[in-house]
Amino acid sequence: MAKVYVVTSGKGGVGKTTITANIGCALANKGAKVCLIDADIGLKNLDIALGLENRVVHTILDVANGKVTASEALVRHKQIKGLYLLAASQIATKEMLSPEDMKKMVAELYPKFDYIIVDSPAGIERGFRNAIAAAEKALIVTTPELPAITDADRVIGLLENSGMQEANIRLVINRFKIQMVKRGDMLTREDIQGNLAIDLIGIIPDSDEVIVATNKGVPVILNGNGEGIGKVFENIALRMQGEPIPVEHDILEHGSKGFLEFLKRIFRRN
Amino acid sequence: MFFGLFRKKKKTEGSRKEAKDRLDSITGGRRYSVPVREVIPQDILQNSGKDMIHQIKTYVADKYKVKEENVKVQLEEHNGYVVIITNVVFH
Repeated sequence: MAKVYVVTSGKGGVGKTTITANIGCALANKGAKVCLIDADIGLKNLDIALGLENRVVHTILDVANGKVTASEALVRHKQIKGLYLLAASQIATKEMLSPEDMKKMVAELYPKFDYIIVDSPAGIERGFRNAIAAAEKALIVTTPELPAITDADRVIGLLENSGMQEANIRLVINRFKIQMVKRGDMLTREDIQGNLAIDLIGIIPDSDEVIVATNKGVPVILNGNGEGIGKVFENIALRMQGEPIPVEHDILEHGSKGFLEFLKRIFRRN
Repeated sequence: MFFGLFRKKKKTEGSRKEAKDRLDSITGGRRYSVPVREVIPQDILQNSGKDMIHQIKTYVADKYKVKEENVKVQLEEHNGYVVIITNVVFH
């Protein structure tokens, strides 16, 4: 039986899709069977983040319309055996899908996977309601900026109103700039967590690696060598599986580049 | 100019504090949720909008130690949901 997560934020552009793709990869890499659902109909991106855009034959809308079953619409990842995608449609609107459709799809996939992760669109309208319809748990993504945090606060309230327990809502802080925090120019982890008052599951430092990986259509977790930002996604996946890894490790592992690393980067050959 | 290089830089306060103050004022500090039925009993919730407003006013006035006249409650319907908008005048 699957654990059903929704990755949401309220605000757009905070990294929901990148996080969904990488956490999905990390969980599947650890042997779990994972299904990622792109609920961002009309503005789909998850297939691109995973490098699967040319493999998609059927979309979530074909499933809702009864053309194919959810299982038939799934696309398997090229490199990771246990990772599947149910892609969204580009030429459709969010109103063409209902929360009931989403519940039916998840119910069909539920017994076949260990994790089902729904990538929510930005906003709090129909697309958001579709995305959260079948979710038992939520990952709230925010960046350390006021508009993203206040939107996250609103979304947490909406999730609680929909019946989700506070303990099942966990926070991911994305694009955390360690140097800016040290300079006193950015909100700290404590500032954000204190305000949103939910458990923190991961801090993802700002990194160029993500852009490079997206350019290649390879999730950053597959692009690296088990170090850097990929390690942070692995930590989050392990915490989702119940491992008690302190969130401080996310910053330490990424932010501990000393003088030696600086020299290495200078002399590194391409 | 040469000596300027060694001059101790004045420490300026970062923008974090300002961001934190603004965040606190926007979200009201630590967020907490209250089950609707804790504020409004089930029978009132199903029947009367007027009683519902009175119930919310009493609860909020007690919670924030303000007079009931300082609590303004509006009920609106959005997409089939009842949205309760409450404003509290503290001063």
